[in-house]
Amino acid sequence: MSAPETIAEILDRATAAYAGLAATGETIEDEWSYVNDLTEAWRARLAEVAAARGAEPAGAAGPAVGRAIDEIGRISDPHRAIDWLSTFPQVVLVALGEGL
Amino acid sequence: MRFQDAAKDARTVVYAAIQAEPLVARAADLLAAATPAERVLARAVMNGETTDPDGWRVTFPTLFDPALPSAARERAEAILALSLEVAERGDQVRSQVRGAIVEALTERLLVRRVGAAAVRRERRILFDGVRAEIHPYDLTVEKPGAAEAWDCKWGARGIGPDVLHQLHDARTHAAAEGEKLLAGLVIFDAARSCRVRLARQTAPRDGIGVATIETLSRLGGGAPAGGKG
Repeated sequence: MSAPETIAEILDRATAAYAGLAATGETIEDEWSYVNDLTEAWRARLAEVAAARGAEPAGAAGPAVGRAIDEIGRISDPHRAIDWLSTFPQVVLVALGEGL
Repeated sequence: MRFQDAAKDARTVVYAAIQAEPLVARAADLLAAATPAERVLARAVMNGETTDPDGWRVTFPTLFDPALPSAARERAEAILALSLEVAERGDQVRSQVRGAIVEALTERLLVRRVGAAAVRRERRILFDGVRAEIHPYDLTVEKPGAAEAWDCKWGARGIGPDVLHQLHDARTHAAAEGEKLLAGLVIFDAARSCRVRLARQTAPRDGIGVATIETLSRLGGGAPAGGKG
């Protein structure tokens, strides 16, 4: 039987998916800097959570983040990707019971 | 400083029909009483690619936990159902509906604080010797000595130089007339994203208020019935 997934592991998956979303968003040339600054700001917030709670079992947040990753995996429109660069980390944080 | 109705053009007539949709009013009522996490649910679903309610319940376990009080779960269910109605619209319409919801939500909150008589939609602010602005403010509070002007945006990306200049100029002109005007943005997005967006702007932004998903309820003068926010 495998060990239950930890918060650090789901945040690793979330961060990898988030990088893919950023790659879609940064194809809007005028928003390149905003996309990168936004991505950096939210990565830092997720890293804070990983540092504080990484070893905890993910529980229901595991399937939640998996579902959110599936949601952003469907996005091909770069404008919508930019919207989700803000929304996705918020969803992850709410799933973990964290403040924004 | 005085307030004036904006002229109605074809765009405003079309948009007025969207603003008048019962869906917009229901969303505003629900979101005015929502917690920040519930507002994130609305934002995600209304922005979403998928419209399967069970999938969204899995995505937000802290809002649909059976151990929660029934009132909280019922509110989350109502927000989910309504947000799915928005998501099921075509792309262009849902974008308009989302914008109208943020405006209607802001109106609810302002009315809660200052009363319905003082809150107006789509108004211009005129100053002596200053050419009138092209775009009206989404919401104004028209109280002597305590006037306010608010522009509403669905996301942080809506923050740009035009709106910042307009709000800043309005404050400056009001001050030149010895009037107090609180000018600000209501952004249905997280404060962190708004800070990132604002940091990139060269337009003046000192003194401009920004209400976000986390702080929206302060527009209404306090915490919502649903919890912190």
